[in-house]
Amino acid sequence: MFWRKRNKRSSADFSSEIEAHLQDETARLQEQGLAEAEARAAARRSFGNLLHAEERFYESHRWLWWDHIARDIRYAARMLAKTPGFTAVALLMLALGIGANTAIFSMVNALLLRTLPYPHAERLGVLYARTTGLETADEPRNVDGEQWEQLRDNVPSLLPAISSMRANGVNFRADGKVQYLHAGRVSAHYFDVFGVQPLLGRNFLEVEDRPHGPATAILSYALWRNTADPSVIGHTMLLKGEPYTIVGVLPENATTPLNADVCTPLQASPQGEGVGTNFRPFFRLRDGATWQQADAEMNRAWEHTQRIENFRKENPGSQRTFYSVPLQRGQTAVLRPQVLGLLLSSGVIFLIACANLAGLTLVRMSRRKAEFATRLALGASRWQTQRQLWTETLLLGLAGGITGIVTGSLALRGLLLLLPERFLPVSSLPLDARVLGFTVFLSLLTTVLCGILPAFATSDLDLRSSLATRSSGLSPGSLRLRQLLIAGEVALTVVLLAGAGLLVRTLIHLEALPPGFNPSGVLTAKASLDDVTYHDAAKFRTLLNESVANMRAIPGVQNAAMGLTLPYERAVLTGVTITEGKEAGRQITANEVYVTPGYFETLQIPLLEGRTFTDADGPSAPRVVIVNESFARSFFHGIDPIGHHQDGDTVVVGVVRDTVTSSAAGLHTGAAPLTKEEVIYLPAAQMDGAFLSLVHSFFQPSWIVRTAAPIEGLPAEMQQAVETVDPNLPFSGFYSMSDLMASTLAMQRIEVALLIAMAALALLLSAVGIFALVASLVAQRTREIGIRMALGSTVQAAMTQVGSAGVRAAGFGLAAGLVLCLGTLRLMRSLLYGVGVYDLPTILAVVAVLATVVLVAVVVPTLRIARIDPATTLREE
Amino acid sequence: MSTQDEKERLELLQGTLDLLILRTLIFGQQHGQGIARAIQDTSGQELLVEHGALYPALQRLEDRGWISAKWGISSNNRKARFYSLTAAGRKQLVRETTKWKRLSAAIARILDPAREG
Repeated sequence: MFWRKRNKRSSADFSSEIEAHLQDETARLQEQGLAEAEARAAARRSFGNLLHAEERFYESHRWLWWDHIARDIRYAARMLAKTPGFTAVALLMLALGIGANTAIFSMVNALLLRTLPYPHAERLGVLYARTTGLETADEPRNVDGEQWEQLRDNVPSLLPAISSMRANGVNFRADGKVQYLHAGRVSAHYFDVFGVQPLLGRNFLEVEDRPHGPATAILSYALWRNTADPSVIGHTMLLKGEPYTIVGVLPENATTPLNADVCTPLQASPQGEGVGTNFRPFFRLRDGATWQQADAEMNRAWEHTQRIENFRKENPGSQRTFYSVPLQRGQTAVLRPQVLGLLLSSGVIFLIACANLAGLTLVRMSRRKAEFATRLALGASRWQTQRQLWTETLLLGLAGGITGIVTGSLALRGLLLLLPERFLPVSSLPLDARVLGFTVFLSLLTTVLCGILPAFATSDLDLRSSLATRSSGLSPGSLRLRQLLIAGEVALTVVLLAGAGLLVRTLIHLEALPPGFNPSGVLTAKASLDDVTYHDAAKFRTLLNESVANMRAIPGVQNAAMGLTLPYERAVLTGVTITEGKEAGRQITANEVYVTPGYFETLQIPLLEGRTFTDADGPSAPRVVIVNESFARSFFHGIDPIGHHQDGDTVVVGVVRDTVTSSAAGLHTGAAPLTKEEVIYLPAAQMDGAFLSLVHSFFQPSWIVRTAAPIEGLPAEMQQAVETVDPNLPFSGFYSMSDLMASTLAMQRIEVALLIAMAALALLLSAVGIFALVASLVAQRTREIGIRMALGSTVQAAMTQVGSAGVRAAGFGLAAGLVLCLGTLRLMRSLLYGVGVYDLPTILAVVAVLATVVLVAVVVPTLRIARIDPATTLREE
Repeated sequence: MSTQDEKERLELLQGTLDLLILRTLIFGQQHGQGIARAIQDTSGQELLVEHGALYPALQRLEDRGWISAKWGISSNNRKARFYSLTAAGRKQLVRETTKWKRLSAAIARILDPAREG
C-alpha cells in the first residue's frame, strides 16, 4: 500500500542524505580553494533552509492528526497523573459504576440474550396458557398423562417430550457403594428435542417409555467420568433399589433443563402421577411447520381432554388457550422482572457516577481556566483546546472501563457465591464479547456524559478576564449546575434506598412470621425413600418405627419423629372430597402431610382441640386425620370439626395451630413465599404403597429430633439410627429449621442483598459527590473565609455558610426523590409482603440514613475551615 | 560559486523542478547533488536549484513511484543516495515534456507574436 511505502523511509535517513550532500558540496568547494570552515558555511548557505526541508519531509510523511492525537493523549495522561487525587476518585467511581453494570449485564446477557446451547434453539418451545374470562392469566403450564398422550400422538407439527418436574434425590448403588444423586425422568424423545446425541450408546426408545417398559438409564458425563469405563453400556446398576440397564452416556457439557446426574424413562400414563399436571413439556418445531400450526393442533388435540372439560365446567365463561413460547423466554420468565429491575438499578448507579464525575471535571476545568486562556492566547484554536479536554475525558472513561471490567468480574463471582445451587437456568455467566462491548459502550457514554458539561463551560471562555483575574473559582452558574447534579444523584439514591428498605421490611416480615411451632433446638435430616423397597407399606412402617425409636434413644434427644414435609417447606397438594355439611361433595385442594406419632410434640406445634396421633392409629385402625386451624376455618365454617367425617369415612380427631409453609406449590396465587395454608395431617402408618411410591418420587421425607442443648456428632448418630435398620439409606443432608426457612426465602434474600448493595453504592457515590462539592468550595473560598474571620466571623458561621451549599443540594434531591418514589415504588408491589408501597417507617429510615450520610459528607470537608489562619491567607495574596 | 553569481541566475518556476529532475535521470542514476549540478550545468548556469527544495522534491517523486532510490558510493568515494527513473517515471516524463513544450510555445507566441508571423 502507498502509505506503507512512505513510512519505510525514516527522517534520520533523510537527514543523513542531506548530510552527505553537504559534505560532498564542502569537499567540492575545498577543492576550489576555500578553507574548510568557509566551504562548509557556503555549502550550508547554498542549501537554503535546512530545518525547513526536514520539516517538509516530516510533514509529507505522517498523518498529522495522528501525531496530534498521540500528543494529546500523552498530555492528557500527564495532566491526570498530576492530579492523582482527582484521578483516583474518578477511577474509583467509574470502577464501581461501570463494574456494577458489567456484573448485572453479564447476568442479563447469560439469561436473556445469549443463545441457548442447543442446535436451532429458536425452534424449541415450552407450553403457556392464556386464561380469559373471570380470571385472566398468562402462565407456563405443565401437562397431565392424558394431555401428554394427545400431544405425542396428535400434534404432527411438533416433536414433543416431557420430563419430571425436577431431578429428584435418589439412592444410587453400584459396586456395594451407596451414593446420593439427582435423577430425572424423561420421555423417549427428550434428548432428541434438545439435539443431544449420546457419547456412548443411544437415546431411550419409545418401547422403553411405555408403562412397565424395561428399566433403562442414561448417565451424565460427570457420573460416567468416575469410572470412565467405555464398556459400561449394557451394565446394570441399582437405582431406587431396582436394577436399571445402562443404555447411554451423555457427552461432556450436554445440558438440558433437567440437569440430572442420571436419567430414566418417564413411562408416563394417564394413571398414577399422570392424573395431575406433573410433567414438564418441551417441544421442537418440525421442519416446515409453523408455531401457529402447532398451537392450533395443540388446542384441537386437547379440546376434549378431561382437564379441559373440567375447567369449562368449573369456570363457566372462562376460556383457556394454549400456546408455545420460545424456550429461552419461557425458562427465564420468573427471573426476567428481577433481572431487568437490577439492570435498571445499576443504570441508576452509573448515572450517579457520571453526574459525580461531571461535577468533578467541572471544578477541574474551572481551575484550569487560566491554562486554557493562555493556550488560546498563544494561538491554539478553540477546536484544539476542546480536543484536549475530550481526550482527557475519553482517557478517563476508558481507564474506568478497564477497572470496571475487573471489579465487575469480581462482583459477578461474589454474586454467584450468593446464589443457591441450581438457582439459575444457565450453567455460567461468561464475560463474552457482548458484555465487553457493553462495557466499552458505557466507557464512551461516560466520556460523553462527563465531557459535555465542562466542554460547554469552557467554550465561552472570555480570554481577557480569565487571564486578568487570578481567581480560579467556580462561577455562580457552574456552582448551581453542580448542585443540580448532586440533587439528581440524591433523588435517585432515595429511590434505591426506599426500594431496598421495602424489601428489607418484607424479609423481616416474612422471617418474623409467627412460625406456629418452636423452631429452635430441632435438627432435621432428609433421605430419599424413592426406592422399590419402600413401595411396600409394611417395610416403610418398620423403617419409621425402628429408626425413630433409635433416634429417641440417642442420649440428650428429647423427642424424635418423621414426616413427609416440614414447616417452611412446600407440601403435597391433594384433592379431598368434603363429605359432611352444606358443601358435601365439593372437591377441594389442600396440603397433605403424613407424620409419625410425636411429630407435633417434637416440633412443639400446639394442639388446639382433640388429640394427636398415637401408635394405635395403625394400618388396620379406623382412618383418622388432624387438620390445622386454616383448614377448619375454610371448610368447617365455625363448626367444631372433631368427630366429623371427610373424604369418605375418615374422621377428624384433632385441630392444631397453623404453621408457616412455603407457597411454592401455589395453592393461592400471589401468596407470600411464606404463608399459612390449609393442611391435613395423616398418620404415616395408614399410608398405602401406591401413595408412598407416588409422593416419594417428588418428596424426600424428613427425620426430626429435638434436643435440649446442641449435641456433638448428632448427625452421625442419626445416620447410625437409620443405618441399623437399612444400611443402604444415606441421609442427603442435615438442616436446622432456619436453613429450611432460608432456602424458602432464597429469592427474597438475594433480592434484598442485591438491592442493598445497589443502594449502598448509590449512597456512597452521592456522598462522594457532596463531599467533593463542599471540599472544592472550601478550597476556593479560603481567602474569602480568611477575610471574613479577620473581620470577626466565627468558624461555625463560615462552616455553615459553605456547608449550606451541599445541604441545600441534598435537601432538594431528597424532596425530588420522595416525589419520584411515589411513581416508581408501585412497580415493586408484587415483591412486597406485609408492607405497603408507601411505608412511613421505611421513608423515615431513608431520610434518617440520608441525613446522616449527608451530614458527614458536608461536615468533614468543612473541618478544614477551622485550620484556616486569617493572617496567613491574607499574607499569601 | 559566489553570491554574485546566484543573484543573476533564474529561479525555477513552480512545478518545473520535478520535470527537470526526471529529465536529468534519463541518462542514468544520479545522487541529489549530481542532479542539482547537472541541471545547473545543462542550463548553462542559468537555473538555480535551491538544494533545500531539491530533496523534498526527490522524496515526493519517489513517493509517487516515478523514481526509485538506493544508497551507494559516489564517484569521489562518498556515501550518497542514488536515484533512478522508473517505468512510470519515464511515462510521466514524456507527458510532462509534451505539456511543457506546448506551454512554452504558447507563452512564446504571446510574448513574441511577430516571430510567429
